[in-house]
Amino acid sequence: MVWRIGVDSGGTFTDVCLFNDETGRLDIWKVPSTPDDPSRGIADGVSEGLSTVGAQPAEVRFLGHGTTVATNALIELRGVKTGLVVTDGFRDLLEIGRQKRPSLYDMNAEKPETLVTRDLRFEVAERVRSDGSIELPLNEAEVRKAIRAMQRAEVKAIAICCLYGFMNTAHEKRILEIVREEALDLFVSASHEVAPEFREYERMSTTVVNAYLGPVMRRYIQRLKARLSDLGIAIPPQLTQSNGGVIGFDAAATLPVRTVLSGPSTGVVAAQAIGRMAEFDNVITFDVGGTSSDVALLRNGACGLTSEASVHGYPIKAPMLDIHTVGAGGGSIAFVDGGGLLKVGPRSAGADPGPVCYGRGNTEPTVTDANIVLQTLNPVEILGGRMKVRRDLAVEAVARLADRLGLSVMETAQGIISVVTANMAKAIRVISVQRGHDPRDYALMAFGGAGPLHAARLARELDMSHVIVPVTPGTLCALGLLLTDLRADFAASRLLPLDQAALPVLHEGFVELEKQAVIWFDSESLREDRRLIGRTVDMRYAGQNYELSVPVPAGPITAETLEALEAGFEEAHRQRFGFIAEGEIVQVVTLRVEATGIVAKAQFNSHPDAGPSAEGAIVARREVYMPEAGGMVECPVYARDRLRSGNRFAGPAIIEQMDATTVVLPGMDAVVDPYLNVILKV
Amino acid sequence: MSQVDPITVEVIGSALTSIVEEMGEALVRASYSTNIKERRDCSTALFDWRGNTLCQAEHIPMHLGSFIGIIPHIKKRFAEADIHPGDVFIGNDAYEGGATHLPDIVLAEPIFFEDRMVGWAINTAHHSDFADRGHAHIYQEGIRLPPVKLYKQGVLQKDLQDVFLLNCQVPHERLSDLRAQMSANRLGVERMQALCAKYGTARVLQAGDALQDYAERKMRAGIAAIPDGTYRFTDYFDDSQMPVEMKLSIAITVSGDEMHLDFDAPDQVAAGLNVIFTALLATCYYAVKSVVDPTILPNAGLSRPLTVTARHGSLLNCKHPGAVDGRIAACQRVADMVQGALAQALPDRVQAAGNGCCTGAIFTGERADGSLWVYLETIGGGGGARPKADGLSGIHVHMTNTSNLPVEALELEYPLTLLRYELVDGSAGAGTYRGGMGLRRVYRAEGPCKLSLHGSRLLSQPWGLSGGLPAAGSTADFGDERTSFVGSIPLMSGQVVEIVTPGGGGFGPPSGRSPEAVARDIAEGRISAEFAARTYGQAATSVAVAHPDLAPAS
Repeated sequence: MVWRIGVDSGGTFTDVCLFNDETGRLDIWKVPSTPDDPSRGIADGVSEGLSTVGAQPAEVRFLGHGTTVATNALIELRGVKTGLVVTDGFRDLLEIGRQKRPSLYDMNAEKPETLVTRDLRFEVAERVRSDGSIELPLNEAEVRKAIRAMQRAEVKAIAICCLYGFMNTAHEKRILEIVREEALDLFVSASHEVAPEFREYERMSTTVVNAYLGPVMRRYIQRLKARLSDLGIAIPPQLTQSNGGVIGFDAAATLPVRTVLSGPSTGVVAAQAIGRMAEFDNVITFDVGGTSSDVALLRNGACGLTSEASVHGYPIKAPMLDIHTVGAGGGSIAFVDGGGLLKVGPRSAGADPGPVCYGRGNTEPTVTDANIVLQTLNPVEILGGRMKVRRDLAVEAVARLADRLGLSVMETAQGIISVVTANMAKAIRVISVQRGHDPRDYALMAFGGAGPLHAARLARELDMSHVIVPVTPGTLCALGLLLTDLRADFAASRLLPLDQAALPVLHEGFVELEKQAVIWFDSESLREDRRLIGRTVDMRYAGQNYELSVPVPAGPITAETLEALEAGFEEAHRQRFGFIAEGEIVQVVTLRVEATGIVAKAQFNSHPDAGPSAEGAIVARREVYMPEAGGMVECPVYARDRLRSGNRFAGPAIIEQMDATTVVLPGMDAVVDPYLNVILKV
Repeated sequence: MSQVDPITVEVIGSALTSIVEEMGEALVRASYSTNIKERRDCSTALFDWRGNTLCQAEHIPMHLGSFIGIIPHIKKRFAEADIHPGDVFIGNDAYEGGATHLPDIVLAEPIFFEDRMVGWAINTAHHSDFADRGHAHIYQEGIRLPPVKLYKQGVLQKDLQDVFLLNCQVPHERLSDLRAQMSANRLGVERMQALCAKYGTARVLQAGDALQDYAERKMRAGIAAIPDGTYRFTDYFDDSQMPVEMKLSIAITVSGDEMHLDFDAPDQVAAGLNVIFTALLATCYYAVKSVVDPTILPNAGLSRPLTVTARHGSLLNCKHPGAVDGRIAACQRVADMVQGALAQALPDRVQAAGNGCCTGAIFTGERADGSLWVYLETIGGGGGARPKADGLSGIHVHMTNTSNLPVEALELEYPLTLLRYELVDGSAGAGTYRGGMGLRRVYRAEGPCKLSLHGSRLLSQPWGLSGGLPAAGSTADFGDERTSFVGSIPLMSGQVVEIVTPGGGGFGPPSGRSPEAVARDIAEGRISAEFAARTYGQAATSVAVAHPDLAPAS
C-alpha cells in the first residue's frame, strides 16, 4: 500500500487528507489546531489518520504540508530580533518605504511596524553604480564593527541589502562571508539571494521579512521533522510555497518569505487539478472562509504568478500565485452606517464568539446569520448536525437593522447577501476585468466553508455561465497538497533593450539560472525525466516601470526568440492596456526560470453514470427565501454524499454536506459530473 | 429622496469605486514618466451627467480641484448638442481650463449610453514638464489649454496634439503619458456603459444621486456634532521662491449642520504660489472630511453643507493672470490651519501641524543628443502628532501622497546620484506624542544641470497643539554660500545639494510623554540625550540610563 498525505494547518483546524494510490480511497478529517506548537496538532492528526485507515507510517510516500506559521508570525510580529546592514546613507529606507501615508483621509492610520529598530540598522561605506561598477569599495572594518554591535544586542538574524545588490553581488557576498566568520550561529539573508530584483526598498523589505521569520521557521521545521520521524515516517516532508509548488523542508527553512502566502495557494492548486478533470480550462476560484475571501484566475488551466505583493503592509518580492483577498466572509458583520446605508465587513465575528446564531453572546448579525434567517443554511443545525444554531437570535439581530433601514427582516437579510456579493464581485473584477479578462469566459469554482453558499448569486452578478462545486469544498487546501509538484523559482534582473545585443545576455542569464535550477533538482533528488524548466522574461516599454511577463519558447536563444518575445509582449500589453506603442523600444527587466519537479500525484477515479434521477438524494424539504422565486419557496434538500455521477436536478434546491452548503437558484440546473463535482448551469 | 433601495445604492456604489480604481491602475501602469509610473502623481474619477463628482479614486486630494473645475468650463464653451460620444476634452489652464496648475493635464470623456449622456470619465496626471520657467504671471508657466477636443468622435486632432507637444520640453514622455490617460478613460467609459446595461440607466443615475445625498447626510451629521461657534486660527506662509512671511487667517463658523470657512490672505503675488479658487475648495473639502469623518464617500455630496470664501485677488483666491504653479504649498498650510481652528472644538480629532510643505526638487538638463530631461520629485516630511499617537515620519501630508522614486530607478534614468536619504534626527516636535521626523535627501549632480527648489517653512516652524512643541523647519544647502533659492539654480558636475524637510509638531505637553518612549527615541538616535534632558526633564533621562542595553551601539 502506498499512501499520500496532505496536511493543511490553519488557525482553528488542521485538515488531514489521506489518499491511497492503489485503491483511490480518499479520507479527509479535521483535528483542532495547536497554535502554541502547530507541529503537535499535525503529528496527532497524521497519527490518528494513519491508524484510522489502518496504514503503516512506512507506507507513506509523500507528505505535503501547508502552514500559516510564517504568515502568523508576521501578522502577530513574533519574528526574531533582527539587524540590518545597508549602504551608507540608507538605513532609514526600511522605515520610510515609498513615503506614502497609510491612509489618505484617516489621520489615525498607522504604518506597519518597522521590523528592525533604528539602532539595529547599520550603515557601511560602499557604493555600486547603476551599471554595476564599484565606485566605493566595501569598508570591511565597518562591517565587522556592525556585526559585533549586533551580537552585543543579541540579534538572532541579520539582513543585508546594498544598493544594486541585485546587479553586482560582490559587496553583499563579502558581507555575508564576514557575518559567517564573526557570527556563525546567526540566521542571515542577503538581498541578492532572497529577491535579486530592481527597486531597493521592496528588495530590502523582502530580505528583512525573510531574516525576521527565518529562525521561527527553522525552529518549527525542526520540531515537525522530529515529530514525524518519531512517528516512523521515513520520507522527507515537503512544504507549500506561495507560488503553489512544494519545496523541501531545508529549502523552506532558508527562504521562509516564500511561504508567507502558502495557505490559500494550495486551494488554487487543487482548483487547477479539478478544473482539468471537469474539463474547464478557464476558471475563477472563489474560496470563502470566516473572515475573508480569496479569488484567483486560472487561464488555460493555470494561475498566473505575481512577483510583487504586500502582506500586511510589508512589500514582498517573491513569486506568488496571483491571489486577491477581500475582507468578506461568513463571519463578516453587517451594520447600518451613519448615512443610512447597509454595509458588510471587513470586521468579522471570527470563530469566537462567532455569528449571532451560535448563541455565544455576539449580537451583531453576520453573513452567516443572514443565511440562517433566509434558511439557505440549515436553520436548526449545521456542520452535518455537529452544531445547533439559534435562528431566533439571528432573526432578532437582523430585525434591528431592518428597523433602521425601513425594510422587512427578510429583505434586510437578503440585502446583507447582496452587499457581500457585491464586495466579492469587486474582488473578482480586480483579478479579471482589471487584468483584461472577461469573467463571462470563466467558470466559477466555489470552495471554502461558505463559497458554495454564495457562488450562484455571484455568478449571476458577473454573468458567468457555470459554477463548479468540488466534492470536498471545505477541505480543498489539504487535497491540493496531494496534487502539487515540487517547484522553485529563480530570477535575475538585467536591464537592457530587446535587440540583437540582448542575445548573449539572455543566453548567459538563462544558462546561469538553469544551473541554479539543476543544483536545486539535485538537492531534491529528482530524476532527469521528472525535471521541467519554464522560462519567462519580464518586459516593458523603455520608460514604463511595470513589467509584463512573457514566456520564452523552448530551445536555444536566437533571433526568432527575440521576435517571439516582442510579439508576446505586444499581445500582453494590448490585453492589459488596450493599446501598443508602435516603434517604442521594448526593454528586458527580469529573467525568470521556473523549475518544476514532477512528482506522482493523487489520481481520481471517474464514476460510472448512475442516471439523471437524484430523487434518492433528497433528505428533506425546507422553505428558503429566494427573491428570484418571489419569496419563501419550498426547496428539496439533497445530501451531497448521496449524489451520483450523472444525477441532474433543477433549482431552487439546496445541497448539504458536512463542510459546506450549496445554493441552487431558480432557473439553474445542477449536474453531477463523473468525478462527483456538482456543476451548476447559471 | 431617490426611488432606489439602499441596498442597490450600495451595490452600485461598490461598482463605481472599482471602476475608478481600475482607471487609476491602468493609468499608472501604462504611463512613462517617473512622476506618474512610480510616484503616482495622478488621479481618476467619474462624474455624473450634470458635472458633479460621483466617485474619485484615492490618489491625490489636490486633484479634486482639477476635476471640479473642468466640466463647468467645458459647458461654457460647448453646447450640449456639440458633445458627442468619442469626444475627448483636454485642458490645463487654471483660469479657463479647470485645472489648478498647468502641468496637471486633465482629460475628460463624456459617457453615452443608449443615446443619452450618463456621465464623464475624467483623469488628471501631473506631467513633469514646463520646468525652468518664470512665474511672474501664468503666461510664463507653460502652454495654456482651455478645454478643447483632443479627439472628435474618436478621431485624434493631430494638429492640436502637435501644437501641444511642441510646447513641451520632453514631448516623447508627454505623448506616452497622454496615451496612458486615454486608455484609463476608455476603461471608465466602457465600464460605466456596462453598468448601465446591467442595472438600467435610470437606476444607475438614481443611485448616483443617492450616493451624493448619502455623503451629504454623513457630512451634515458630522458637522452637527460640532458645537456652534466661530473658530479662528492664524499661520504664516513662506516659500523658497518668495522668502517673506505672509500672514494667513481662517475663521470657521459652524452653525447647525453647516460650516463656513472664510480666509484672509494678502494680495496675490508675482510668484507661482497663488491658489486658484477650485484648489482652495479641494483643500477645504479634504481637510474638513479628514477631521469630521474620513469615511465619507469622495463625491460632490460632501461639499453641499460647506461654503468657502476668500477675497478675489488674494493669495488664496487669485485672479488672472496670477501664476499658480506651486499652489500646493499654500494649500498645505490651509489644510493645517483647518486642523488648528477645529482643534478648539474637537481637540481629540485633529493633528498638530504636519511638515506643511510639498517640498519639490525639479532638475532640468540636456542629454548628449541635445534633447532635454526634466526630473521632478517631491519629498515628504513629518506628519503632525495625533491626540493619542506620535506623528508618522517621512510621509507626505494632506493634499498630496506621491511615492518616492527608487534610488535604483532615479540613477538609471537621470544623471544624478543620491548620496543619502534618511530621517532627520531631532526634527520632530516634542510632546506627549511627538511629531513625525522630517527627511534629508542629498543629491550629487553628475553633469551640469539646473535645480528649481520649492520648499516652505524655511522661516517658520510647524506648530504643536495642546502644549506640544514646534518641529524643525526646512533647510537647503547647495554646498556654497547661497541663502536665496529663487528661480532655477545652475549646478556644476559633482555639486552636492542637501534638502531637509520639516518634522511634524508635537501634541500635548512634553512632560506627559512616557519615559519608555523617550528612552526608545534616545536609543534609536531620534533625539539626543541632551535634548531629552532639556525638553522632557530629569525623569525621562534617568530611565534612559537605567536601560544601558538600549544605548546606541556605535
